[in-house]
Amino acid sequence: MRFDVVLRYVGVVMLFIASFMLISVGVSYYNGMDSAFYPLLLSALLTALLGAFPQIFVSKKGQLSMKEGFAVVVGSWLVACVVGTFPYLIWGGEFSPINAWFESVSGFTTTGATVLEDIESLPRGLQFWRFSSTWIGGMGVVMFALVILPSMGRSRMMLSNVEMSTLARDNFRYRTQVIVQILMVVYLGLTALSLLSLKLAGMNWFDALCHAMSAAATSGFSTKNLSIAFYNNPLIEFILIVTMATSGIHFGLIYATVTGKHNNLFRSEVTRHYLAIILGASLLIAISLFAAGNYHTLLASFRHAIFQVTSLITTSGFATADTNLWTPFAIIILIFCSIICSCSGSTSGGVKVNRLLLAIKMLKAKLQQQRHPNAVVRVRLDGMVQDNEMLYAVMVFIVAYLMLILLGALIGTLFGLDMTTAFTGAVSCMGNVGPGFGEVGSMNNFASMPVVMKWVDSLLMLFGRLEIFGLLQLFMIKWWK
Amino acid sequence: MTGMRKRITVSFLSIACLLFISGMLSFVELNRLSRGTGDILAASRRNIELAKEMLDAAHELNVALIHRSVLSDRGYDSLCRAAMARLENVHLTARHEALDRSFLDSLSFATTEMKVLVDGYLTRSARRAEQEAAAAILADTLPHDDSLWIAQVEPMLHPEEHARPDGWYTEEFEASYNRLTAAVKAYMTSTQSSLAPRTEQMKKNAYRAVTPVLISLAVMIAIVLMFYYFMTIYCVNPVLGINKSLGNYLAFKVPFVVKEECKDELLELKEKIEQLINQARQAKS
Repeated sequence: MRFDVVLRYVGVVMLFIASFMLISVGVSYYNGMDSAFYPLLLSALLTALLGAFPQIFVSKKGQLSMKEGFAVVVGSWLVACVVGTFPYLIWGGEFSPINAWFESVSGFTTTGATVLEDIESLPRGLQFWRFSSTWIGGMGVVMFALVILPSMGRSRMMLSNVEMSTLARDNFRYRTQVIVQILMVVYLGLTALSLLSLKLAGMNWFDALCHAMSAAATSGFSTKNLSIAFYNNPLIEFILIVTMATSGIHFGLIYATVTGKHNNLFRSEVTRHYLAIILGASLLIAISLFAAGNYHTLLASFRHAIFQVTSLITTSGFATADTNLWTPFAIIILIFCSIICSCSGSTSGGVKVNRLLLAIKMLKAKLQQQRHPNAVVRVRLDGMVQDNEMLYAVMVFIVAYLMLILLGALIGTLFGLDMTTAFTGAVSCMGNVGPGFGEVGSMNNFASMPVVMKWVDSLLMLFGRLEIFGLLQLFMIKWWK
Repeated sequence: MTGMRKRITVSFLSIACLLFISGMLSFVELNRLSRGTGDILAASRRNIELAKEMLDAAHELNVALIHRSVLSDRGYDSLCRAAMARLENVHLTARHEALDRSFLDSLSFATTEMKVLVDGYLTRSARRAEQEAAAAILADTLPHDDSLWIAQVEPMLHPEEHARPDGWYTEEFEASYNRLTAAVKAYMTSTQSSLAPRTEQMKKNAYRAVTPVLISLAVMIAIVLMFYYFMTIYCVNPVLGINKSLGNYLAFKVPFVVKEECKDELLELKEKIEQLINQARQAKS
């Protein structure tokens, strides 16, 4: 592996991150040079220097190998999380080294979990950096850089192939070069539409921009301590539900629908199931909440239920209610949503509806095969026959995913957390959801977690975001040779 | 960017620039920390000075009032007023300069109460003196068995016989004086009592002062490591490779092949050696 080449491309990503820090410096300056101005400026300078240094020595190289592509992607994510802590650490306040790391990882992986007790006391410059990190992370740290830097040429294809899961690529049905541009167009369009709608619904420009970035990235970061419950505005909730739900759909399908292509989201089996799960889960929870007397009317129950279901299934994590107070039935459904999450090719994390559907179809195929041993049973998704390699990868992923959740929960209980907090904390971090239940409920945060658990949970977030195997390769020493 | 010298110069400048930033940062942050600590200590010292002045002024006022009420000497009125004015001035200075404002409200209340009390007393005394003067004039003109004489003039001439026991000093002034001195003492010890949160603040300031420097140093270490790595793979290894290959060629006539990636002048050097070897080979044949 050519480490110098890897360093060069990781450096490019860092330069890109430094540019977002500079935008945050501008926001800080616009808000009367608040206390985040110098921390952000210094962080931008240091990050830019760190990113520019490899460019001095390493010139543009040809095609990257698969290993190099993996190393660039994983390295970029890790380095982004590290340099993302600079503004927090220099600013001080509630940000101890572990808190800064947790917040940075939570931002870049779009988890949206926070360790801050008082978010509203942050200066606007730093707030904007939080949302910038999550917005960059939503698209994918490397993917973003690929769009901005056209000089990458053939390396672009390799890097986008590595960062995007195979499932997402299959569903796109476009050339690799075009995929990156499509993603960007849809992402920017969603953010812009959400921004305007939230502004019209009564938010101020800053809050509207931050929440639009957060919703498009399915992050769940909010500028308010009470999250969306602060506004208590059905229109804002509706806009966010639409933005979150759309961000959970395959971006290629959204693009195809908008441009009038044949393979649009109305024909997508995965999207149909995804929307059906949202509606079904919301209805079941609403009935449960109404029957238990949590809310006076069925409409109020449905309003909160659909918001929370959409928020958790899209791995956003915004909150309009304290879900810890909901019925056990509702909590179980929400945990189920936090594990499945939305569609591949979107900004969300988790197992994804695609894999769930494939797993169910494989089960059906297995039963069919047992009944008719000589039959050739094929598994199809969206009309496409899935090869055995893909099905095997899906099963391995689901097993590894659940094992990591159990491991996280086990470590949590070992360090004194109750079972609900440990398990749902691991589920929410692994799926990049944000809130769990118990001590890490929708109206709580991760501040009270033991330091070890903050490390473990941030590692789970990275595993979830990099779809497990990318990060696992880091621990294989032989792989690096 | 091409040219080994240019690459090394730019790298060196980057490192030097970062070193300079780290140095400047540590200087600025430590300066700020030192200023912050100095401010806290200066505020504490100033608090004690102002409290001492206020206590002095209150004591002066107390003595003057005792003299005024016991000796009934109106000459002490100006002394009372001067002491009160001094107290007020120091209080205003304290209000203006105080870093910790938590004890100022009770101090302001006690000072204002004292001023109202003293002003009232002095005004009443002045009015009584005027009435005594008027009574003295009336005493000369009216017969002593006149009802007006008995009701108004006689009490004025012998106030100690007619007035009810004057409890003003013990009942009103002393209580107010005690409140004032207590408030001044609380103000004096306020910096000491708020030392714990200030120490915490200083600890935070120290953390904030050190963090940017530590981060800059960490970045610098990363850059130095990268510099070492790049120098090794782009300069040292090619030179060693060329040297080894040339040595092998000269000693054993092994073909001149350099495996390491050569750049800039080293690439030129390699090509020139190959050219030279080719020329020597052609000349021989």
